[in-house]
Amino acid sequence: MKRWLQIALFIILISFLAACNSEAAGNESNEDGKTVIEYWHVNAETQGGQTVTELVEEFNAQSDTVEVVAKYNPDMYKGLMQNMQAEAAAGNSPAVVQIGWAFMDYFSGNFEYTPPQNVIDEHFPDDATFLEDHFLPNVMDLAKNSDGEQVGVPYSLSTPVLYINKDILREAGLDTDGPQTWEEVKEFSEVIKEETGNYGLYFQEPADNWATQALLESNGASFIKDGQAAFASEEGIEAYQFLTDMIVEDETALHIGWDQGVQSFIDGSVAMAYTTIAQRSNIQDNAQFDVAAVESPAWEGKEVKLPAGGAMLAITAQEEEEQKAAWEFMSYLYSVEAMAEWTKGTGYVPPRHDVSEAENGLNTYLEENEMMTPAINQMDGVVPWASFPGNAGLQAEQMLLDLREQLLEGSISPEEGLKTTQDEINALLP
Amino acid sequence: MSSLTAAKGKLHINRENAFGYLLLIPSIIIFAVFTFWPFIYTIYLSFFEWNMISPTKEFVGLKNYTEVLSDPKTYRILGNTFLYIILLLIINCVIPYIFAFVIDLVLRKYKNFYKGALFLPAFISLVVGSILFTWILNPVSGPVAILFNWFGLEIPNWTKAEGWIIVVLSLITSWKVFGYNFILLYASINGISREIIEAARMDNVSLVRIFFQIILPMSSATGIYVFIITIVQSLQYVFTPVKVISQGGPDYASSNLIYHAYHEAFVVYRTGHSAAISIVTMALFLLLLFLEFRYVERGVYYEN
Repeated sequence: MKRWLQIALFIILISFLAACNSEAAGNESNEDGKTVIEYWHVNAETQGGQTVTELVEEFNAQSDTVEVVAKYNPDMYKGLMQNMQAEAAAGNSPAVVQIGWAFMDYFSGNFEYTPPQNVIDEHFPDDATFLEDHFLPNVMDLAKNSDGEQVGVPYSLSTPVLYINKDILREAGLDTDGPQTWEEVKEFSEVIKEETGNYGLYFQEPADNWATQALLESNGASFIKDGQAAFASEEGIEAYQFLTDMIVEDETALHIGWDQGVQSFIDGSVAMAYTTIAQRSNIQDNAQFDVAAVESPAWEGKEVKLPAGGAMLAITAQEEEEQKAAWEFMSYLYSVEAMAEWTKGTGYVPPRHDVSEAENGLNTYLEENEMMTPAINQMDGVVPWASFPGNAGLQAEQMLLDLREQLLEGSISPEEGLKTTQDEINALLP
Repeated sequence: MSSLTAAKGKLHINRENAFGYLLLIPSIIIFAVFTFWPFIYTIYLSFFEWNMISPTKEFVGLKNYTEVLSDPKTYRILGNTFLYIILLLIINCVIPYIFAFVIDLVLRKYKNFYKGALFLPAFISLVVGSILFTWILNPVSGPVAILFNWFGLEIPNWTKAEGWIIVVLSLITSWKVFGYNFILLYASINGISREIIEAARMDNVSLVRIFFQIILPMSSATGIYVFIITIVQSLQYVFTPVKVISQGGPDYASSNLIYHAYHEAFVVYRTGHSAAISIVTMALFLLLLFLEFRYVERGVYYEN
């Protein structure tokens, strides 16, 4: 190409790109003098998006100083993270964001945020003990990063529960209260397969290792110990062996994608499904049989340890005025009424311990929706969702997913697979 | 100033063609911003280790390339990519060719119905299609599985079975692409002079010979377009069902090069790796394009 044309094009290009950049300025105040802040969430219309809109509208109507703009991010917490990356690269940030637990370490290592307690101490002395008073300590710990810093405040909480199809259990002559332990799950499944020809269990397989962590850690293994992967312990291998045996050897458990797995449970092709409480309304609304949810099974003689799913709210506002506005909005979201709305709209378990009994909270709601109860009852067994530290965290998570595919295909033994993957992950981690 | 006049002389800009160059500028800008610039930037990124967020990029030289080229996953995914291409060439190029021929020259009735019916799915979003098919083809409880069950058959657990997953994802993709390719080929075959075909029919030439010796050569200009566009699309359109249904799984068995580049960049945030994969893909397809120009383009018949 001719040189002058090249230069001209280059100049046009640069000025175009520069124009793009200067366009996107930060958050500002609107004509009423209210501080305008952005709240980024991941709740699509079917997953509580309606509730987000209602809560934000109610908040805006009652606040004289703050106006919140809610912004939906597709593709869940990962999608939000990606949008934050782009936004941060352009030098902007929203004020309040939902951060999925699995991304907490990544978030705290790569983004600018302010711990909520700092904002409270500085601007809201009346709320000084708000977090202490209303949240269980093990729940608050969920939002601490590996350095022990309180990154945000838990907002959406979910735990895995076992959904059971009582009709099939009855047909197979089994106890319709469902199994209490994993050993019983296995026995139940064998009987179900023999008596009814249906699959016994579907163990959820989304693109994360959340349920796997529940299975392994309840057996006494730990995913991460002292910043290193540690899942290939004896207990970890035993637990994974248990799951692969059910799928590969006994063929009493179904190995299939998450959507299809839940769909198969709803269709009555699988008797039990181990998946998140966030699926409750989907299952409750669509199942045509006698359905119930029971608490996560334990291993014989051991205590359950259930990673929390869901998200926390973190303050990413950079300017003081906006940080103040951010907490004003958050303290509204954490009020008993707003929490109750949130639970009704989404099926998440409220992180505040005083919401489920309160009259203006969930008291009557829970009486009508019994399937929520096991998730609330097992809150004291909640542990943080393991997220691998450092830049390679996401890659480590991916390696565990790759391993799951190989194990459940039966192409590798759990002992060998877990040990190799653990070594590979530890080689990546700092 | 003198250099500018010299450049002007080289470009042969005069009153007549200056306007033409002016009109080219908007599209050149669009190409520059959305194609050339990202391409150059991708090459640049492929020499760095970066997670898209940290302010510093670490220069690592050719490390990304050596890692990509020594990773067995890359070759698996390369194999998948070609499997997709072959399958989609059959489903979206060969079969629509035959359909277009049959509907235009063999059938006497309901031509318009077939044209409409075959084109219709092209309107529907691939995401919607993918979700629909996940339900329809659910190996345990979907309608197809139930239907098969009546005959005592089982459908394979395709989302988790290597090989099958590629076949099913190709079928879903073709749902979108088939109609468009079919209409193009139909128009091309329809444009062939009827006299030649009538003459051949008079002489009792078999349909197979009409297809191979008249239709195929005379519509080859469109044919080659569909051929190339199918290869390109089989790389790109497959992305949607892969993303919606399998996320590249089980264990990368349904990933192709484009999806894998996306996966590395936006799922595990290894930008350098992803850029290296993109460049390798680019090089590979430049080679294919070169072969196409060298050996295929020659035999193509252009009417004008």
